[in-house]
Amino acid sequence: MVPYKHYSLLAIACLMWMAGCSSPYVENNMIEEIAPVVFWSVDKGTEGKFKISTLVPPLIQEKKRLLTKEVDLLKQGGKEFNLIYNRELKQGQLRMVLINEELAKKGGIEKLVNTILVDPDISMRVYLLIVRGNFDEYIKHQLTKQENQDYFLYRMLKHYEDYNQGEMSIVNIHQFMKKLYSPLEAPILPVFRSDKNNFNYIGTAFFQEDKEVMVIQDVDDEIFQLLDNDHFLKVLAIPKLSVSLGRVRSNVRMKLSRDYSSLSLHVGLNGRIEEYQGEKEIQSEEQLEHVIQEIEIYLEEQTSDLLKRMQRWKVDPLEVGTHSLKPFSKEITEKQWLKYWGNIKINVDYDIKIQPLNNVERLM
Amino acid sequence: MAAGDEEVKSLSLYNRTSTLGGIYFLLLVNRTQMHYFILIMPTFLVHSYMVWGIIVMGLLSQLNLMMLSKWFTSRYAAKGYQGFIQLFGKRTVQIFAILGFLILLPKISVITLGYVEMLHSFIYPSMNKNWLILMILLISLFVASHGMEKTLRFVVIAFLGGVWIVIMFIPFFFPPIANYRDLYPLIPTEWSEQSWRGLLFIWSALSGPVYLAFMVPWLSSNKKIMKYLVIGNMLSIMEYSFLFIASVLFYGSHYLSKINFPLVYMGSYIQTGGLERIDYILISFHMFTYVFDISILLLCFYGAGRIFMRKMNEQTTRIGLLSSWFVILISIIFMNHWLWQTVPGQKMLLNIQIWISAFLYLLVPTILFTAVKRKESM
Repeated sequence: MVPYKHYSLLAIACLMWMAGCSSPYVENNMIEEIAPVVFWSVDKGTEGKFKISTLVPPLIQEKKRLLTKEVDLLKQGGKEFNLIYNRELKQGQLRMVLINEELAKKGGIEKLVNTILVDPDISMRVYLLIVRGNFDEYIKHQLTKQENQDYFLYRMLKHYEDYNQGEMSIVNIHQFMKKLYSPLEAPILPVFRSDKNNFNYIGTAFFQEDKEVMVIQDVDDEIFQLLDNDHFLKVLAIPKLSVSLGRVRSNVRMKLSRDYSSLSLHVGLNGRIEEYQGEKEIQSEEQLEHVIQEIEIYLEEQTSDLLKRMQRWKVDPLEVGTHSLKPFSKEITEKQWLKYWGNIKINVDYDIKIQPLNNVERLM
Repeated sequence: MAAGDEEVKSLSLYNRTSTLGGIYFLLLVNRTQMHYFILIMPTFLVHSYMVWGIIVMGLLSQLNLMMLSKWFTSRYAAKGYQGFIQLFGKRTVQIFAILGFLILLPKISVITLGYVEMLHSFIYPSMNKNWLILMILLISLFVASHGMEKTLRFVVIAFLGGVWIVIMFIPFFFPPIANYRDLYPLIPTEWSEQSWRGLLFIWSALSGPVYLAFMVPWLSSNKKIMKYLVIGNMLSIMEYSFLFIASVLFYGSHYLSKINFPLVYMGSYIQTGGLERIDYILISFHMFTYVFDISILLLCFYGAGRIFMRKMNEQTTRIGLLSSWFVILISIIFMNHWLWQTVPGQKMLLNIQIWISAFLYLLVPTILFTAVKRKESM
């Protein structure tokens, strides 16, 4: 036989030795000695510093506490936590980065995100959120009420991310960065409001040149979910017309004219009426038609209004600009596009197909 | 007696018991084109219309392979070293061997350093790189020590270990992250120096099969091999363009140019319910291709050394293989130390590697083709 076993013995000996004495590895990942980090919350500190905080230890039967530090650099914060805490914090499980709205308005999220992206331990699927108010206070207060609040928050985001089920704009770091670098796309982030007792979703923030420029809420946000984000809404409630539509699916067609002077936006909606508190008899075909027409007009007005505000702020989160890309022509620059975008004439047209209420008196 | 028997067998690295048929050609062409360069390719191409570049360069490479197949089927190729001497004369072959020796060294180094860098930045960020280099080279030495024939047969494992990775990238073609308008414009509206460099890059990435020209004695010189060469090359083009389009859809052209290992980062974005860091598995499986590449080049390297030291008629020795291995190890460690760790050094090494392999891919088939033609007409 050929003495290959010498080589393999050498290889095995090498491997055993490397595994045994850990000299080539500098890092130690013994589970008893480390604490995974689930979220970073970044706030504005005094004198241009960051105030960053995290909750330790996650997912272990142990009393939790919130660590907070004021630092100049994000990574410095991670390091300083290690010095005041008796375990080493590891960022491999980082799931959420919460950025205070004040900081987002000032700009510079790109740099924060880059810091996180440089670390290959951290996945690109980390959720980015904007927080209005004081998140630390909320977490501190929740510690006494509910354990593992950080993990539940992550599960909530994951729940709404999967299957695009509408309701929230959930964005991870990769999606944010891709849109940030693409000249004809504007990044968006979800905004949450937080105080001592509450932490709830309020809407979507639009970014321009790495700064938060506008936040849309309620009906506007619902329209945005239909137009761009998920193309689906579980419930579209229109209090003004006393009607709730359910399982609304949208089909959006945009047509940009060749000289970028007008945009026609056609939205087809499919859904069903799940609730009606108004005066009309929607069992009758005629009256139902009337209600639908009212909804169409209402949505058209709201949408044009929303788009006009986007134009005023010169943001294009709906990525209308990408419709200017053609297979055979040159890409226009971001600056050119935004100039066109500000003056574009928009024509919104809704076409709604609706089934009436189920299991109640049927249409004859 | 048993020990003596063992000795004799272990030393004959370049023995041949049977010739490898057409399907091996296919796999060899494909795998030698899928090494380190494929991982960084999207960063060099960036614009979506460069997919035409891949196709055009792939078709040119097709022509090149046809020329090469002329060499494969010629009677000189089957004779191996003697065939080369008949064609060019002893002196010239020696000079070629020295040149080959000098060219192989940076090639092996860049491939190894590239893979080690990826391992280092994704899996073992705090580990000393020299250990990783040593490990990869030890594995390759182990494979190479089985001799040329078995190493060539290893391509089957390398192929099976690597080809399924492409399947993992299929989800990137479907929304939500993918926006098909990212692929526009389809036709280049401007052409810059960077685009030329992209073409050069594709050409050099396709240059792997050049080394097969020196391995003909172990491969069959059947007339039908051309078909397999062409299919192997086609497969590579398909893999190239598939991975490239996936990465354009994932990053968009503007972000793509800023990422250093686009495909590996995409791997780390893949997630399943049970497993989160799929990229670790992908990187590990990719190692088969590298080990195959490095061990085959190691054997070439040793062979070239033997030619210019005029030891072709003597037996191969274990010391010989080990010392060429040491030369490679030391050269890689030095390159890592002096050049690879800085950005300009890394760029320089990569550029040298791109130019050299592009030139080789242009020159070797042409030289062999014309030499065979001339001899035949004489």
